Amino acid sequence: MTQRLVILWAVLLAASASCVAAASAGAPLVLGIASAQTLNGVAGDYVTVAARIENTSDQAVSDVTTYLSLVNTADKLPVDLEDWSAEKGLYVGVIEPSQALPLDWRIHFVKPGRFALTVVALVAGREMPTVSPVVYFQVEPRNSLDPGHILPVALGMPVVLGLLLLLLNYRRRTRP
Amino acid sequence: MIRLIWAKEVRAELYTWRSALWLLLASLIFSFTSYLLLTNKELTLLDQTELLWLLGKIIVGTALLMVTIDASSILTSEFEHHTAESLFIAPIRLRDLVIGKFLASLTLWGALYVVAVPYMIVAAAGTRLAPAFLGYVALLGTLGVAAMVLLALGIAFLFRSSKNALTTTLVVLLGLTVPALFTSALKSGFVARVFERINPVDSIFAALDNVLVDYQLSPLQNGRFLLPLAGFLVAAFAFAVFAARRFERQGIVRSAS
Repeated sequence: MTQRLVILWAVLLAASASCVAAASAGAPLVLGIASAQTLNGVAGDYVTVAARIENTSDQAVSDVTTYLSLVNTADKLPVDLEDWSAEKGLYVGVIEPSQALPLDWRIHFVKPGRFALTVVALVAGREMPTVSPVVYFQVEPRNSLDPGHILPVALGMPVVLGLLLLLLNYRRRTRP
Repeated sequence: MIRLIWAKEVRAELYTWRSALWLLLASLIFSFTSYLLLTNKELTLLDQTELLWLLGKIIVGTALLMVTIDASSILTSEFEHHTAESLFIAPIRLRDLVIGKFLASLTLWGALYVVAVPYMIVAAAGTRLAPAFLGYVALLGTLGVAAMVLLALGIAFLFRSSKNALTTTLVVLLGLTVPALFTSALKSGFVARVFERINPVDSIFAALDNVLVDYQLSPLQNGRFLLPLAGFLVAAFAFAVFAARRFERQGIVRSAS
């Protein structure tokens, strides 16, 4: 009798633990990237990261919020999205069972470097977020002006004018 | 006589290294701007045409400021250096004196423009906008500077004091320039829109934008900007004539005409 009670207790404990684990685990959402996994461009360019969020369960998932996370992989630091994207986050709300929704993010390449972007989905009440695969940005510097043309003039003109003024002064002093 | 007055003023403005130092300073401003256009991370994101627009605004803005300051004192200095009496008892017509000094101030703008030309040419390299850039900066700058010089001369006739004339003219220039630098969001009200249409400095900046960024190169396509500028020039001319005649009527100087 005691042995049966112990087994029953163990079964109940396991069942309750699995219920808690299910509640605290990630939502049954899948975040995918439809656009290329690596996007190249020049600083100042705009690109679109096309993501897709899908509810793989047979129950609706509510209170879904998605947002972007951008990291500079060279500096190993997160990047403030202020100028990179007008939409930092998007409240999706409810996703019906088996429903898939597109998420397009217009990204402005603000500065050159190597960056990694992920789309994150948070569901209210869930402890684990759902994260998309990483999209890599390779942003080259933009040179609208040719330094080879500009720098000689920018450095040379004041020098030439300064020399002319010195010559003018010298001539005035040495003139009888 | 006009030529003599013009030559005397230009010699005084450009002959000594101290008096010509402002040209070197203007060149340093253009060099610093060019350096910023190359190196500033935010500015390097702009298209080349927008960089040209920015450089054009800096050139015309610098010219307006420097030539206006000069024109404010070119007449009043005669009173403060006590040369006015001997000047006005000489057989010089007031009209010739004013035209000579007006042309001398415009010559300063010409000198500044010559200094700016290399910057404009290298900044426009790779585009087909160099002739339009050079031409419109010359046209708009000449109209704007001529109007401000006439305004400054008129104010100088009214005040006869460098300090007062300079302060008043600079306040007028600031009053025209600061609203022109506002973003379009700040110009959304009715009054702001009307002021934008009649403000000559706004017209200069908008015309440069229209030419360099929007590729509207013909003068007809820029008529809506050139007309207010021409209107401002006519108004400044009328004001200068009115102030000079008032100056004559007050009897301090008698014109030979």
